[in-house]
Amino acid sequence: MAVGCVTDPDQPASDVSYRVEAIPMPEGLSSETGAIAFFPDGRLAACFHRGEVMFYDPETKVWSLFAEGFHDPLGILVISPSELLVMQRPELTRVKDTDGDGQADLYETVTDDFGISGNYHEFNYGPIQDQAQNLFIALNTASPNGDVREEVRGRLDHRGRAPRQMFAAVPYRGWIMKLTPSGTLWPYACGFRSPNGLAFDAEGHMFVTDNQGDWIGTSPLYHVQEGKFYGHPASLLWQEGWDRGNPAELPVAALDSMRTKAAVLFPHGIMANSITQPALDHTQGKFGPFAGQFFIGEMNQGRIVRVMLEQVNGEFQGACIPFYDEKGLRKGNNRLAFAPDGSLWVGQNDHGWAGDRGIQRIVYTGKPPMDVYTMKLTPEGFELTFTQPLDLSTASDTSHYQFRHYYYEYHQEYGSEQFDIQRRPVTQVSVAADQKKVSLTLDTMKAGYIYELTLGDIRSAEGDTLANKLVCYTLNQLKK
Amino acid sequence: MMLPQKKLLLLLTTLLFAFLMSSVPVDENPSVTIRLQAIPGLQYDQVRFSVKPGTTVELILTNADDMSHNLLITEPGAREEVVLSALQLGEAGPTADFIPDIPQVLWSIPVLSPGETKSVTFTAPQTLGIYPYVCTYPGHGAVMYGAMYVTEEALPALAEDPNIPSARRVDRMQAGDSLQAGPHQTPKQWHPYEPVPPYWYRVFIPGASPAAMAVCLPDSVSYCWDAGTCRLRFAWQGGFVDNSQLWKGKGDVSSIILGTIFFRDKTDYPLRTGTPDHIPVVAFKGFRLIDRYPEFHYTLDGMDVYELIKPGKKTDGTAHASQGHVSPGRVSLTRTFRMPQANQTLWFAFHPDDGVDYQASAGVWKEGLLKLSPQEARQFTIHMTPKEGVKL
Repeated sequence: MAVGCVTDPDQPASDVSYRVEAIPMPEGLSSETGAIAFFPDGRLAACFHRGEVMFYDPETKVWSLFAEGFHDPLGILVISPSELLVMQRPELTRVKDTDGDGQADLYETVTDDFGISGNYHEFNYGPIQDQAQNLFIALNTASPNGDVREEVRGRLDHRGRAPRQMFAAVPYRGWIMKLTPSGTLWPYACGFRSPNGLAFDAEGHMFVTDNQGDWIGTSPLYHVQEGKFYGHPASLLWQEGWDRGNPAELPVAALDSMRTKAAVLFPHGIMANSITQPALDHTQGKFGPFAGQFFIGEMNQGRIVRVMLEQVNGEFQGACIPFYDEKGLRKGNNRLAFAPDGSLWVGQNDHGWAGDRGIQRIVYTGKPPMDVYTMKLTPEGFELTFTQPLDLSTASDTSHYQFRHYYYEYHQEYGSEQFDIQRRPVTQVSVAADQKKVSLTLDTMKAGYIYELTLGDIRSAEGDTLANKLVCYTLNQLKK
Repeated sequence: MMLPQKKLLLLLTTLLFAFLMSSVPVDENPSVTIRLQAIPGLQYDQVRFSVKPGTTVELILTNADDMSHNLLITEPGAREEVVLSALQLGEAGPTADFIPDIPQVLWSIPVLSPGETKSVTFTAPQTLGIYPYVCTYPGHGAVMYGAMYVTEEALPALAEDPNIPSARRVDRMQAGDSLQAGPHQTPKQWHPYEPVPPYWYRVFIPGASPAAMAVCLPDSVSYCWDAGTCRLRFAWQGGFVDNSQLWKGKGDVSSIILGTIFFRDKTDYPLRTGTPDHIPVVAFKGFRLIDRYPEFHYTLDGMDVYELIKPGKKTDGTAHASQGHVSPGRVSLTRTFRMPQANQTLWFAFHPDDGVDYQASAGVWKEGLLKLSPQEARQFTIHMTPKEGVKL
């Protein structure tokens, strides 16, 4: 079924290096975008909250309906031109067009081996697939602003329920699950509240985002490994052999010692409020200089953030920086995917939260941005690498590097204030011979803090101004 | 609570002046308590209220949403400017509760986490006007606001009030784009196409597990397939479903069944293998579309079952909807089962009060059960016709 496009796209907006274009949406579609994914030929598959799975051909600008009737579909994995995996509330579903008429006629359950209480907040995310063909999905916890249904799927356990606490009354809510090629679904890692974004980096490490709320002081990006616990206690109830009662009633210190901390924290109300799906830049330069890095959507602002990771003493940690702000980009940036042509597509959603609707794409204009390329920890401070050679006079000025540090508390309360906010003066700046690397020495360096850097008017050698001036480094560990 | 000192002084002076100059007794300086809630959907539960000039107002805000909110009352006409100033606080925003320190902000309640309640008490201005209140949490200000009318007059009609969000310019009891629209309202389009039966929604359905599916068939008959328990749960005649509340996304909401339920399964499970009381372990495998009708695939103790449900012939009334609506007639359902690997006796159980009469293409009815040989179980149909006058 072909559907004409009537909605006018917004006026394209652009800055120097990137511009935003709106994708025309079909008339009559409530374009709360649940997921977007690309076929190798450049066509887009997208799903929406009222259950539609639609294809869009950027060449012809025509939308067509592929499948329908899904319950809050929030993930798509493209298998072949005629086959998708779609993550919806009740199950992970294989959707296939077996007779070649362009519309799905087979909806197969891939896995439904997890509980659903019917609480409105039990969204499901993923799947992503590793090299060994395992699939990974993530199961949101339930909201205390809703109840469980009279009839549920899975064993009910109310022990974790308390006012204002997200809960896991049925198995594996708050878990990342692993589906092996043989079809068995295994609990993989727990401690998640609202893990609305899963991705692998170029080396196959799994990263998952979560959202600020109870037990989560500010939104995190976790490096997820099998068997680990990431901090939100509700899911512990479903850990094999759990015999310690309501996990949220354990001493905070005990929970704190069990948890694996986030690789990157996104300061709330500063960097992002509600981060979404990470997209790995695998475009090998088609999208600009950031190949191998993650871009992550933000719901509350017209912003995409970028993440710069490194391994320190064998563990991931790193920094986040705004990548694209406003300038035509809507809020509600729930889903990100790179098209084969190297443009970054963004599916927007609100669904009762702050956000917007529709699909836009961000296109690299070919003009290299003047931006921070990487931020790395050194024994004395940080080393910044810029995308372009620097103007020596502005880059050598210590006053152009304003640091403050603070931390967020791990506690039951919703979110966290910033604690121990202090300015951290830069005592020395040195610019390397390549004029791209800057080494900063700080007066002191402390683990367990976010180091928030506000850059001044640093110019490139050619006089370009910085695209983004705020960088937040999550310093879990000092370099040994 | 924040009250700029200058404002306070000004107000106190104004009040004192008003007090001295009037002969109004002190106890007529009225006070009022306004209770507001931040509720799901980026909104306050009340989008406007009115107070008389000089009233002492205690404004109590409870955050009943699942994200954080604040509340700022601004000078008339200053809402958008204040929202912008809050956003420009940048990294200073969180510590300032996203409340910009500008004179356009008159009073405020700081950021409340879900479940928190705080209040602010102030004296309503002597200057009549419409004083906006707004949440300046990043991303909220464009839609989450309302209006405090300082007036002696009645408020304008809600539908024509430009000072409240457009989505709220309707009576809350009527809000929600309901499909149960009156005869003069045009039905809303829910998709970029007109669904033609058979079609279906995976949604939350009352009276079924959370993994349910509502299927709309031709002839105004619909059924609920429960993928969580692998069975036809109930069926109804009339309309299909209203998902308008469910699709808003928050709270304990379900799809609403539009029509009259004529069948409801009341057995522990209708299919029994081996012995008549053996309830098999079921697993849902999905469905294939045959002429757009879903044929469900599930297993009973590992044995594949395929079930296709179609409308049967109507027993009376008008057979074709196109001939004009006289009587909807009584619909029926035909369930075609395939069990290619059947190698045991199969029983089909039902409850006498489930609303329908049964006819089967094979097997023998015995003590309230249909007994099918393994050979018969490989393919058979069951026809379900509503009984007269059964309430379900």
